[in-house]
Amino acid sequence: MVEEQSRKYGLFLGCVIPNRYPFIETSIRNVFDHLDIDILDLPGASCCPAPGVFRAFHIPSWLVIAARNISIAEELGVDIVTGCNGCFGTLRDTWIELQHDYDLKKEINEHLSKIGRSFKGTSEPKHVAQVLYQDLGLDYIKDHIKHKFSDLNVAIHYGCHIAKPSDKRPWGGECEDPRFLDEIIELTGAKSLNYKDKMLCCGAGGSVRSAIKEVSLDFTREKLTNMKKAGADAIITACPFCHLQLDLGQFEVNNIFKDEIDEPFKIPVIYTTQLLGLSMGIDPNLLGLLKNHDLSGVPPFISIDPFLNIVKEQLVKEEIKA
Amino acid sequence: MTEIKEEMKITGNERPKIGVYVCHCGVNIGGVVSVPDLVEYAKTLPNVKVGREYKFFCSDVGQKMIKEDIEAGLINRVVVAACSPRMHEPTFRIACKEAGLNQFLFEMANIREHSTWVHMKEPEGAYEVAKDHIRLAIAKARELIPLDVQKVSVEPACLVIGGGITGMNTALDIATSGYKVYLVERTPTIGGHMAQLDKTFPTMDCSSCILTPKMSEVSRKKNIELLTYSEVTEVTGYVGNFEVTILKKPHYVDPIKCTACGICVDSCPITVGNEFEIGLGTRKAIYVPFPQAVPGEYTIDMENCIECGICARINVCEPEAIKFDDKPEYLKVKVGTIVVATGWDSYDPTELKQYGYGKYPNVITGLQMERLLSSFGPVVGKPVRPSDLKEPHSIAFLQCVGSRNFREGGNKYCSRVCCMYATKQARQYKEKHPEADIYIFYMDIRAFGKGYEEFYQSAAENYGINYIRGRIAEVSEDEDHNIIIRSEDTLLQQPIEMKVDLFVLSTGLEPRADADKVTSLLRIQKSADGFFMEAHPKLRPVDTLTEGIFIAGVAQGPKDIPDSVSQAKGAAASAITLMAQGEVEIEPFFAIIRPERCIGCAMCVENCAYGAIDIIDDRRFGKIAEVNEALCKGCGACSGNCRCSAIDIKGFSAEQIYSIITGRM
Repeated sequence: MVEEQSRKYGLFLGCVIPNRYPFIETSIRNVFDHLDIDILDLPGASCCPAPGVFRAFHIPSWLVIAARNISIAEELGVDIVTGCNGCFGTLRDTWIELQHDYDLKKEINEHLSKIGRSFKGTSEPKHVAQVLYQDLGLDYIKDHIKHKFSDLNVAIHYGCHIAKPSDKRPWGGECEDPRFLDEIIELTGAKSLNYKDKMLCCGAGGSVRSAIKEVSLDFTREKLTNMKKAGADAIITACPFCHLQLDLGQFEVNNIFKDEIDEPFKIPVIYTTQLLGLSMGIDPNLLGLLKNHDLSGVPPFISIDPFLNIVKEQLVKEEIKA
Repeated sequence: MTEIKEEMKITGNERPKIGVYVCHCGVNIGGVVSVPDLVEYAKTLPNVKVGREYKFFCSDVGQKMIKEDIEAGLINRVVVAACSPRMHEPTFRIACKEAGLNQFLFEMANIREHSTWVHMKEPEGAYEVAKDHIRLAIAKARELIPLDVQKVSVEPACLVIGGGITGMNTALDIATSGYKVYLVERTPTIGGHMAQLDKTFPTMDCSSCILTPKMSEVSRKKNIELLTYSEVTEVTGYVGNFEVTILKKPHYVDPIKCTACGICVDSCPITVGNEFEIGLGTRKAIYVPFPQAVPGEYTIDMENCIECGICARINVCEPEAIKFDDKPEYLKVKVGTIVVATGWDSYDPTELKQYGYGKYPNVITGLQMERLLSSFGPVVGKPVRPSDLKEPHSIAFLQCVGSRNFREGGNKYCSRVCCMYATKQARQYKEKHPEADIYIFYMDIRAFGKGYEEFYQSAAENYGINYIRGRIAEVSEDEDHNIIIRSEDTLLQQPIEMKVDLFVLSTGLEPRADADKVTSLLRIQKSADGFFMEAHPKLRPVDTLTEGIFIAGVAQGPKDIPDSVSQAKGAAASAITLMAQGEVEIEPFFAIIRPERCIGCAMCVENCAYGAIDIIDDRRFGKIAEVNEALCKGCGACSGNCRCSAIDIKGFSAEQIYSIITGRM
């Protein structure tokens, strides 16, 4: 249970959420607001920077920029929460590495001192799922659930950085078969499907999407095929980059691999807090769950209408009945 | 000679004349620091009369140099600056004794482990550290006083803990030598893990056929008191004189009346998983673990028994052997030596989720495969896969499951038997099913024993077993519960995805889950891998640092049957050697009370972990503490906490410690 005083977190947005999927941000803010959590902005926060791109080229630069982002939250005296697996990976790896390597921390702080900043290690970078599962706990969230789906089958996609490397993640070493996201999602009454290669990468990570798109989309095709085979009504994600790959990726897979797939994929892709928010009785508009034609120039690329119909069928009607 | 020695008898009052001997230890010490300089330095210190260097002081020539100085009357205290006292302190003590010097007027400075090894790359620093060590040893030597060794008798009996192949062999050898053996086994039968095996590599002889005769020999042996379904609950005393308490758990069946007809088993309504079959078979609440069990006594497992009383009915158990009111019994025995042969647990691969054990029915462990192959196992030697009880057409083995794993949840060591047992199981299956496809995924094949390499080569060449070098990354299953394997063939540098009917995890050997109970019971140590620690990895492999207690078999570290039996015989010989001497010397490093200072506050009684101190009424000093020298371990807890400074530890007196401290400053 949460203590009486309200919890505060600094929301680290990263790049993909504000640029591609702003509704992920609105869903996080509204769900946390309902759960009595104060979300603060992190003024001046930059790119995390992306693990695949920056770390692969120059680790010290990657560490300095990440440490700078963390230091913003340290000034505010709050932990960091992020809805992106990549940002979570970068910030958490940095946070742990600098705390365990005194010399490295000194070196990084020498760089930061040039802009009047320093890394202390007092603000823990957390994933949205971590705040929900560990800081608040399932029982606390359960008290805020108003409606439950009666027949919704979802394919949960964890992504990679949320659980790996396991020694730098908060899940007690678990990375092969984690359950935390399943348990959060199942609070909404949705059934989490067990599908082949659930822990397989979406295909986007590690710069693969930028470098060799076809290979990247081959992963996505594999992933989508398995999800479809299991009978998924929707895909649930915990990362905007995975979200992009599974959403826009369906579009691309349908084009590139059209000879290899039976029929085009059109599985709605929903972010964790969007689904949770619906169950908590939050207005779908506040969760960014709008009909596609109401949006212009903004994703999703794959229509979420089938999902909205399920919502109407299972949540709205039930509410009217009640 | 004898006369000289008599003259040389040292009294505590004589002025110390110290001889300092700095050893090169080959290049171990001499290659890092300048030994001649150390000798010159030592000679500048007070009371040092002789300083010498030599390549190896532990050699006969080196010892002779020390002896000659003693015999010539040049010195009456000896300091050797060399290696750890664990190895050579006894050597030099004997040398002193032989030259007529009390052996406790000797002190060792460990400048190898504590200086030249750890500071190998900083010779200047190492030299300073070595100088310190030598100065401190000399400071203590100045305050040394002669002590007398104590001799205690050795009870001609041995306690062997664990009735597997190791414990049985130890017990047989000791009993044959004419000493009494108490063989304690916690399950209802002896035989251990070897009884679960079908055949043994590399000779392919049937495990039961070579084990069962040993088991009956143990039960027949006159000098062996076999205590199955029993556990050691308390051990007190010391080398030669251990007092052991053994709990005999109730069988609830009278072994004398029972005719082992087995009708009770048929009538028992309770069916539970059989530990012996590792979940692949069942047993009743009243049971004998397996047909060849020794002793073949029936046991009621009260955790599962519902006490319905059907087995006790006169038409079921005619001899009226069932006794629900059976009580646990405690047996107290006195032994001179103890051998620990508690064996191992099989590694539980459940936490390695990528391999799907416990999730997919057709993923099993090596020990389970052994039971499937066993002619008296759940499927009488015709292996089937758990999901549909069909014969597998393809089997994959994965080596090093839980072994050689430096990540979380694994053991770092090699379990030493898995390469060979997987090869053996593969060959056994291939013999009966030549058409089957068998794959063994390995990191390295470790075929190190006698006949092992030949066995492995033949498996690959003559039996067509496919060895693939590569770790399996993950497995999944299809609708028919076939196992889909993803791996890499690191020799061909190709990814592999294949489907097999049965997937066997070659799980390794682990220390017993409750090994800590044994360490605290016997005051023995564990090494970093969790197995019991030997006194010296090469030269004292079956001894522990607690005198009179020996270890053997897998309890000391993973090993195969031949190695376990060798150690069993080694431990038996060590125990026999001790008992054959009839008496043993114990170090005189125990606490002594200065009655004039003691006020009888009894704080030391509370602090003593060994119950060695009592408060007595002394005619002269009133209430004072008294130390039982036989029970005292010389730990010093009493001395450090005595507010009247009334307790000293012999060999570590306040004056000696103070001299070391001031020598340092």
